[in-house]
Amino acid sequence: MNEMASVDAAEQLPSIQFTGTMREYLPIAATNLLLTVVTLFVYRSWAKARERRYLWSRTRFIDDELEWTGTGQEMFVGFVIVALLLGLVWLTFNFGLPAIALRFGPAAGLCTLLAFYILGMFLYGLARFRGLRYRLSRTWWRGIRGGSSDGGWTYGRKAIGYYLASFLLFGFLYPWAQAKLWNERWNRMSFGPLDFEAQMTSDDTKGPFFAFLGAAIIGNLVIGLFTNPNIIVFGPGLPRLVVPILAYLAIGATYLNFLAAYYRSAAEWTRIGELEFRLNAEFADWLKFYLATIGLAIITLGLAMAVYEFRKWRFIAAHLEAFGTIDVDQLTQSQTHAPREAEGFLDALDIGAF
Amino acid sequence: MIEGKLYDGVTAHPHDVRVSVGDSTLDLAQDGGWSDSVDATLLKRRDAPAGKLRLGRTDLPGWRLLLPAEAEPELAALLGRPERYGRWIDRIGLVPALIAGGVITATVVGIGYLAPHWIAPHVPMSWERNVGTAIVGDFGDLKCRDPKGQQALEALVEKVSPGATKGPDAIKIAALNVPIFNAAALPGGYIVVFKPAITETDPDALAGVLAHEIGHVRRRHVTEALIRELGIGALIRLFAGGVGANAEQIVSLSYTRDNEAQADADAIAALKRANISPKPTAALFSRLAKETGETRGFSAEFLQSHPLSGTRAGRFAASFDAKTHYQPALSQPEWDALAEICRDASHTR
Repeated sequence: MNEMASVDAAEQLPSIQFTGTMREYLPIAATNLLLTVVTLFVYRSWAKARERRYLWSRTRFIDDELEWTGTGQEMFVGFVIVALLLGLVWLTFNFGLPAIALRFGPAAGLCTLLAFYILGMFLYGLARFRGLRYRLSRTWWRGIRGGSSDGGWTYGRKAIGYYLASFLLFGFLYPWAQAKLWNERWNRMSFGPLDFEAQMTSDDTKGPFFAFLGAAIIGNLVIGLFTNPNIIVFGPGLPRLVVPILAYLAIGATYLNFLAAYYRSAAEWTRIGELEFRLNAEFADWLKFYLATIGLAIITLGLAMAVYEFRKWRFIAAHLEAFGTIDVDQLTQSQTHAPREAEGFLDALDIGAF
Repeated sequence: MIEGKLYDGVTAHPHDVRVSVGDSTLDLAQDGGWSDSVDATLLKRRDAPAGKLRLGRTDLPGWRLLLPAEAEPELAALLGRPERYGRWIDRIGLVPALIAGGVITATVVGIGYLAPHWIAPHVPMSWERNVGTAIVGDFGDLKCRDPKGQQALEALVEKVSPGATKGPDAIKIAALNVPIFNAAALPGGYIVVFKPAITETDPDALAGVLAHEIGHVRRRHVTEALIRELGIGALIRLFAGGVGANAEQIVSLSYTRDNEAQADADAIAALKRANISPKPTAALFSRLAKETGETRGFSAEFLQSHPLSGTRAGRFAASFDAKTHYQPALSQPEWDALAEICRDASHTR
């Protein structure tokens, strides 16, 4: 008989529950910070591994906790390799580019510069893909892990096209490109034998994104108008100070609204097997979260940033829900190749989680 | 006997198992008759929330045994201590690791701070000259080119540092028509004096200022500051003869307090050798101190890299010897010529 782990509306406990506490986490964050400082940031990889081991192990999915098995050592090796690679790119960029421009003329220099940008987009895409693959491959639940058998090279190539499309059309295609890339990534990921299926569209993110774009354009115009000393608007004094601040706030608010829509839509359109997800974090929730983040950072003179990852994880876990059933007998071990290079790229380029 | 839950790493199906602790093994058994004995050296603690104990095996990825936390005392001897900060930190302990790390970090930072001072004297002057020449060129329209004035300026340099304007490592002095009261040493033995530093002083004070800048050049403080502020990359650029840094960056290089004090000491010695009174230089610095509103205070001097002009004034004044019969640094005709050095130079905006 097959055993089913199910999450129904009737179930009492939430499907995803984070049980971590600040009291448990604070000593980890503090010692991580100290060790990172005294080791000239070498400990950073180990700090990340410790942080994740804690966060994962305090996150219960249905009836068992997640587990992070990534190690500091592998992350450090990944970081060193990538730092060397990026250093090489940097050297070529700094010395090769001027040499080419000098020898073959400015047109050749411009072409090389463009080639560098395209290479950069490719690397960024590759890094996102591989980072996600690494994280899934080190995430275990009931003795089963995730992963991907794709190397991400195709994703990197496609990313160039999507990024270029967004740039060239002044961001108008951005929500579309972003949704497409989300699908491209997640459709190649799996957990155990189950493939993720992502069918995100820009239907739900277009509106909020254009609202943000509009706010950014109008807001910047207003800010320019009110801060330009040569233009007199409504006399001197207060408006000059208040109106630009209001404009900045409006831009920030529309961006947050877009962010909320994006994550909501991404969760809604991503599934694995019979499981579906829902992120019920609304604009107000995100606003509260970021206001608290900024407030804490100010009060503690920035020290609170050491617990930022904890707070973000807790926030997401509190708002993420899963529905459906998993046949745990059918959930067999992942046959994907577990990558060895960790997430050096992602780390070196400083790209966030999932 | 402990009740536990086992995941075999093949499927996500949990199996109920009874666990007993052997001498160097963990023995598992199931109702159906299945049993297994796991060597303790293969067992590894995995993270679990309070109330749970989660074990993994190093030879079977995905094999997980979940036990109640109450089993901990019974298993402690078998499992050893849990990993906390990472193996290399755990081995020596947190506090010793912090101390050792602190010492290493302080050493590295210290070397980073002192290295420019050690490296600078070994950088060939010819590298520096390439950079200097590339940056300043011939100063363009800014340079004051009155031949008689230039002659007087060079005579003043020769006075405080005989032979300085000759040879491969010659000091190349130029007056620039820039309305700032300042003088600066640049890479490659270039020294520039801005117009007000000539027109608003007297020859003795200008001699003191020049002697100070020559001190910076001779002691390779310029190279040192270049390396300190632009990093090791500056060395590569120096070697390649490339410009890398723009002129503004070079002019705004700052010296350490020690370097400034050393250049002051050199200047005082040079003035004494040339038999020029240090009093006008002292007066110049105390005037600067008043103009920039500097007040004597421990913190101000401690925090600033540049010694306060007031303190510097004191040092120059202290070197004044009432019994010495001082000579003027330049003759009146020479000084008149120098004052007119920027006659034909174009004005800056």
